[in-house]
Amino acid sequence: MIRKVGLILCGLILMFAVTACEKKEPEKKTEEPAPTATKEGGTLVFGRGGDSVGLDPAYETDGNSFMICDNIYEALIFYQDESTALEPGLAESWDISPDGKTYTFYLRKGVKFHDGTPFNADAVVFSIGRMMKERKLKFFSMEWDVPPQERPPEYWVSMEMDDTVDSIEAVDDYTVVFKLKRVDAPFLANMGMDFADIISPTAFMNNPKEFLRNPVGTGPFKFVEWVKDDKIVLEKNENYWDTSGGPYLDKLIFRTIPENSVRFLELKAGNIHICQFPNPADIPLAKEDPNLKLVSQPGMNIGYLSFNYTKSLWQNIHMRRAIAFAINRQAIVDNIYQGMGQVAKNPIPPTMWGYNDKIEDFPYDPEKAKLELAEGGYPGGADLPEITLWSMPVPRPYNPEGLKVGVAMISDLAKVGIRAKIVSYDWGTYLKRQREQPKDMDLFQLGWTGDNGDPDNFLAVLFDGLASPAIRTQWKNEEYHKLMLEGKQTIDQAKRAEIYMRALQVFHDEVAAICVAHSTVIWPMRNNVMNFKLHPTASVRMKNVRLE
Amino acid sequence: MTFLLTNKKNPEDRHPFVDQLEQLWRNKTAVAGMVVIALFVLTALLAPFLSPHDPVDAALYDQLKPPIWTKAGSTNNLLGTDDLGRDILSRLIYGARVSLLVAVVTVGIGVLFGSLLGAVSGYYKGFLDTIIMRFMDILLAFPHILLAIVIMAYMGPGLRNAMIAIGIVYIPRFARIIRASVLEEHEKDYVIASKAIGAKDWRIIFAAILPNCLAPLIVQTTLGFASAILDAAALGFLGLGAQPPTPEWGAMIAMGRSHILRAWWVMTFPGIAILLAVLGFNLFGDGLRDALDPRLRD
Repeated sequence: MIRKVGLILCGLILMFAVTACEKKEPEKKTEEPAPTATKEGGTLVFGRGGDSVGLDPAYETDGNSFMICDNIYEALIFYQDESTALEPGLAESWDISPDGKTYTFYLRKGVKFHDGTPFNADAVVFSIGRMMKERKLKFFSMEWDVPPQERPPEYWVSMEMDDTVDSIEAVDDYTVVFKLKRVDAPFLANMGMDFADIISPTAFMNNPKEFLRNPVGTGPFKFVEWVKDDKIVLEKNENYWDTSGGPYLDKLIFRTIPENSVRFLELKAGNIHICQFPNPADIPLAKEDPNLKLVSQPGMNIGYLSFNYTKSLWQNIHMRRAIAFAINRQAIVDNIYQGMGQVAKNPIPPTMWGYNDKIEDFPYDPEKAKLELAEGGYPGGADLPEITLWSMPVPRPYNPEGLKVGVAMISDLAKVGIRAKIVSYDWGTYLKRQREQPKDMDLFQLGWTGDNGDPDNFLAVLFDGLASPAIRTQWKNEEYHKLMLEGKQTIDQAKRAEIYMRALQVFHDEVAAICVAHSTVIWPMRNNVMNFKLHPTASVRMKNVRLE
Repeated sequence: MTFLLTNKKNPEDRHPFVDQLEQLWRNKTAVAGMVVIALFVLTALLAPFLSPHDPVDAALYDQLKPPIWTKAGSTNNLLGTDDLGRDILSRLIYGARVSLLVAVVTVGIGVLFGSLLGAVSGYYKGFLDTIIMRFMDILLAFPHILLAIVIMAYMGPGLRNAMIAIGIVYIPRFARIIRASVLEEHEKDYVIASKAIGAKDWRIIFAAILPNCLAPLIVQTTLGFASAILDAAALGFLGLGAQPPTPEWGAMIAMGRSHILRAWWVMTFPGIAILLAVLGFNLFGDGLRDALDPRLRD
């Protein structure tokens, strides 16, 4: 009898435990002081889904690490507040030699790292140079013995920077010269990315292994403490070099709250000021709440569906076209992205230069899909074996709910006679196995958020299968590959834009992949947070933010 | 049978089976359980005829429609739709199929291997017994959902693997019951008689002993169905069991939980379905035990 009651209870618990979890009001007040009503100062608490991995920008790869680095460190080049247009950062100005292979940066004077070390050319040589495989470095006044790499600097390696950068030299205290092995048009934009942040060499040399837990940069905020899986605390850098604006906040706390709905409730309760990645379903609730406001930014991203090109089935363009016509992407954006996005016809977002607006998108047309299917050799889909559609198990900025998108897609495919089933793994396994292009994979969903606003960062990195076996869509097209190389080695942006538009036309004609959507990033925050802006690269900058 | 030998009430004029059936019939809760089970099995078998819609057809623009008796409800979707616009009633009906399949297969695995191991272990005793039963004890020492998750982690998610995992978890409970019965029967006269006329071991085990251990096995099997349905739902809830878009009750609850504040029906109805199915098997199982176990008789 007792077991019976137990089993019934289990059933009940299964039903309601989840509800209880969702409803769990945060009773305990955090020990942090409540938001104060001053114009300057105050403590801002930022709620996010995961903790940072490490805080050494050269070695990290994830957004949660970079968002801390964004506030502690600075790079030679800055991106503008709401775009990826370049502006002077720690370098006041720069020269590029006519052959495009020598970059000379003239550095800002009077800047100091948080530990008092002066910022100069040697610090730049040190910060960037430590990522090189063959270190052809020249310091001006210091002679550091740069310690060996603990692990590969992933961004540097995956962007093939060792094939680009030949040597880095400090000519005087405030001039640095980069000599390149080849012309690389995105090089300047790359120097604004997080991995190219400048760190304090003395702080690093004090304890190279612990630097990722004791970061020292030149940025508007200083590192205070890191309680793993709980919070990271930063405080105002009183001696920040740029006195024209912020930082305004006295203290900045990044709290880790993994569950999306719990994080949103913390925001409603006033325990955090900004809530990263809310459930799309919670956005209407945020709109109704008088204490909250929303900030949104069309994300620099693409969610796509591509093909396993190692299988002859998908080397057949009619099959690819059939899929493109069969899927109702508008319905997916309207109902699963909840309108927080737009249907994509190019793999780069419309805000980016090089976007080809002349391309005519594939309409949702089941009849055409059936025709293509017949031309592909499978009339009515009768002899077609059941195909697999790999769907992402986790929400990403470019695709809030991969599994649901997958379910909607196979329902669409069924309507034209293509039988498909969902396959999913945990995120790590998914990424690893996808790269192997296994036989049990037919279609797969993936996506990308841009790093630097350059089309090369989308088009070559994602789709040029001839460049490297590490490219996730192993689409191999000679013409496209040539255009990618040409784009890299042309300096003039107008010419490059033309090249990329041509490449996009090839991409569309060949149905290299199906572009599903560009999502809009929407974060809710408390009304008293002023001046917080979302950046297309998903970096989080608190310099100009203040609390009213 | 066991109870035949100990039950001296009406040994001549009534077959004990009639007796037990009558006892079962008098037990109102058991009958209620039986009705629920019958409905459940019928629903599963007749799913294509009963369900008004295709259970996996996503009608995205009809998402989260409420049930018929609410203000915004419509006759098209009696129990409303989920977040992909699929008809919840149809999914529940097809979900009964999945649950029934899981229950039969997992308990089947448990009974088959459990009886075999238990019988061998109880019959031969000694060293073999120690090895088998200590291994069963190890399996039993794990919380069973956790053990199933460990097995799934090794084999990968999916309904088939979920059934194998839960089946493995159920082996020890059947092995123990059968072993206990075999140990008891082993010393009985009919077994000794079989041995005396030179029957082989396997014949004694399968033809003589096992049929006499059926009563506790039947009870345990019925109760096993209930917990198998519950375990499958739990794995589905965790995303390890049936993969989308298979209509599985646990997975339906998991899908619905992010909408609980706005659309209570998405996770409530599958919850009630699980509750009813589990309750039905439990009530019937308890009734069976009362009827079959001579020690519990009036």
